Amino acid sequence: MSQIKAIIADDEEQLRLYLKARLNVLWPDLVICGEAANGQNALDLIDEYQPDVAFLDIRMPGFSGIKVAEKIAGKCRVVFISAYDQYALQAFENGALDYILKPVTDERLEKTIKRLQKQIAAAPTPPSELAKILENVLATLETRKGPVYLNWIKAQHGDGVRLIPVNTVRYFKAEDKYTIVMTGDSESLIRKSIKELADTLDPQQFWQIHRGTIVNVNQIAKVYRSFSGGLMIRLKDLHEAPSVSRSYSHLFKQM
Amino acid sequence: MEDISLKHMGLRSVLTHFSYTVVFCTIIALFLTLIDSDKAFLECFIISQFIGLCACACSMLGFHVIRPQNNIIMLIVIIVALFIGTSIGAPLGFLAAGIDLPVLFGGKFFLSVLTISILFGSVITYFFLSRGVISSKEALIQEERVKRLNIEKKAVETNLRLLQAQIEPHFLFNTLSNILSLLNTDLEKGKSMLVDLMQYLRTTLSKTRGDTTTVGEEMEIIKAYLNIYKIRMGDRLRYRIDIPDSLRDFPFQPMLIQPLVENAVRHGLEPEVEGGEILIRGAVYEDTFRLEIMDTGAGLYENSNPGMGIDNTRERLKSLYGDKGRLILEENQPSGLKAIIEVPYEPDKGDHR
Repeated sequence: MSQIKAIIADDEEQLRLYLKARLNVLWPDLVICGEAANGQNALDLIDEYQPDVAFLDIRMPGFSGIKVAEKIAGKCRVVFISAYDQYALQAFENGALDYILKPVTDERLEKTIKRLQKQIAAAPTPPSELAKILENVLATLETRKGPVYLNWIKAQHGDGVRLIPVNTVRYFKAEDKYTIVMTGDSESLIRKSIKELADTLDPQQFWQIHRGTIVNVNQIAKVYRSFSGGLMIRLKDLHEAPSVSRSYSHLFKQM
Repeated sequence: MEDISLKHMGLRSVLTHFSYTVVFCTIIALFLTLIDSDKAFLECFIISQFIGLCACACSMLGFHVIRPQNNIIMLIVIIVALFIGTSIGAPLGFLAAGIDLPVLFGGKFFLSVLTISILFGSVITYFFLSRGVISSKEALIQEERVKRLNIEKKAVETNLRLLQAQIEPHFLFNTLSNILSLLNTDLEKGKSMLVDLMQYLRTTLSKTRGDTTTVGEEMEIIKAYLNIYKIRMGDRLRYRIDIPDSLRDFPFQPMLIQPLVENAVRHGLEPEVEGGEILIRGAVYEDTFRLEIMDTGAGLYENSNPGMGIDNTRERLKSLYGDKGRLILEENQPSGLKAIIEVPYEPDKGDHR
C-alpha cells in the first residue's frame, strides 16, 4: 500500500506545530505534505498534493474549514478541529466525518487515527456521501441567520464616516431626496430617500407613521394626543415629537 | 375611521376640559355677582355655564378640524371660537335663565358679555394649553426616573454578561492549546503566555464588580490580552498603545475599553488573511478625555451584526457620564473601524464619579 498523505490547516502556527508533532509520534507512517494558515492555502495544498486526509480548523480567516471541505467534497477525508463550536458538533453528530476538540489530547487523536486507518484500509477512496452531508451542515448553519436587515447607518460627519447602530436611531425624517437620522444625541443626513430606506429596515422595529417619517418603536417614550386631537409620538431623549398621520393611526390601536 | 381606543382617549380629554370649564364658569359667575349686587347668582351661573361650555366645545372643534401649526393661527382659532361660542351660548343661557332676549341684544349689553367671555375664555384656554405642556414635562421627569432605574438594573446584568463573555470558551481553549504546544517547543514563551492569561483572567474576573480602576491598569490587561493574541496570530497582529504617562493615573471605569479592543481583534483582524494593526491612542482635548481604538481590519458592513459589546459600552457610558460620555464609531482610514470613547476629564477632582 502506498504512503498515506495528510495536510494540516490552522491559522495559529503553534497549533499546527503541535498537531504535526503529535501525529509524528502517534502515526509515524503518515506523511504531512503541507501546512496551511487559511482556507485558500488549504485548498491549494489539497489540489497540489491530493492528500488522503485533511485536518481542518473550522474558524480560519478568508473562509472556514467547513467551506474548504465543501469545495473539495469527495477528494479526501476530512477531520475538523475546533476549540468550541457547538453548532458544528451537533451538525456532525450524524455525519461520517470526524471532529476533534482543542486542546487535542493524545487519547482522542489516537481514536481518530484508528478510525482513519480502518476506513482507508477498507476503501482507499473517500465515501461519496460527503458532499451531501456537508450540504446539510451548511444548510443548518444558514437557516440560523434569518432575513438580513440594515444594522448600521453610514453617515458623513465632518471628514469621517460615522457608523450608527440602527437600534439607537430614534426616527428617520425625509428631507427632499435625503433622510435625516435622529438619534438621542446626534442628527445626520444620509443620501438615501426614506422610501429606499424603508425597504431595508426591519418592519418589526421600524414603523412608518407618516409619508416622511419612520420611527423606531423600541425608542418610543409615549404616544399621546395633542390639544388639537392628533396623535403624537415622543421618543426617548428627544423633545421634538413627530405626528402620526391619520392613515397610520391604526398602528397604535390598543390591544 | 378611528378605532375605539382613540375615541376613548378623545372622550376622556373632552370630559376633562368640560369639567374644568364648569369650575371656571362657576368662579366667573361668583365674581360677577360679587362686583355687581344687581345680578342674581343663579342667573349668572346658568348664563356663564352656557357660554363657557359652548365656547369650550367650539374651540375644541376648531382645534380638531383646523389643527393649527403655529401660534398666530392658534390665536385666531381661539378668538373666533370664543366669539361663535358666546354668540350661541349667551342667547341659550338667557333663555334658560328665563330672561327675555331683547335684554341681551339691547344696548351694549351683548358687547360686554362678549368682552367678558373672550377675556376669561383666553385665560381658560391658556390654562388648558399650558397644562398640556406641564403634563408632558412631568412625563419627562417620570421617564427619567424609570430610565435611571433601568440603567442601574442593566449595569448589574451587564456585569454578569461581561463575566460570561470574557471567559469565552473559544478564547480559553485556543489559548490553552497554544500553551500546551509551547511547552514542547518554547518553554519560555509558554510561561509568558500563561502569565499573561493569568493576569488577564484575574483582572477580568475581579474588575467586573464595578470598582473604578485607572487608564494605566486597564492598559495592562489589554496588553496581556493582545500579547496572548500576538502569540496566536503571529505576524498577523501588530499593536501599538500610545497614551501619555500623565494620563495613566486618570481614574476610569473597568471593562469599557476592553470589549472594544476584543471586537477589534476578533471581528476586525482575525477574519482577515493578512491580519492588520491595532492602535490605541489616548489624549485630552480641553475638558474631554478621548480614547481611540483603531484597527485596519474587516470594518463593518451595513448589515454586519450589531455587536453586543458595543451596545453595552454605549449604555454604560451613558449611565456613568450622562450626555458627557459617548461612544462614536467611525470608518478607519484606509480600512477597518475606529471606536472613540469620550468622557469628561476633571483631573483636580481625583475621582470623577
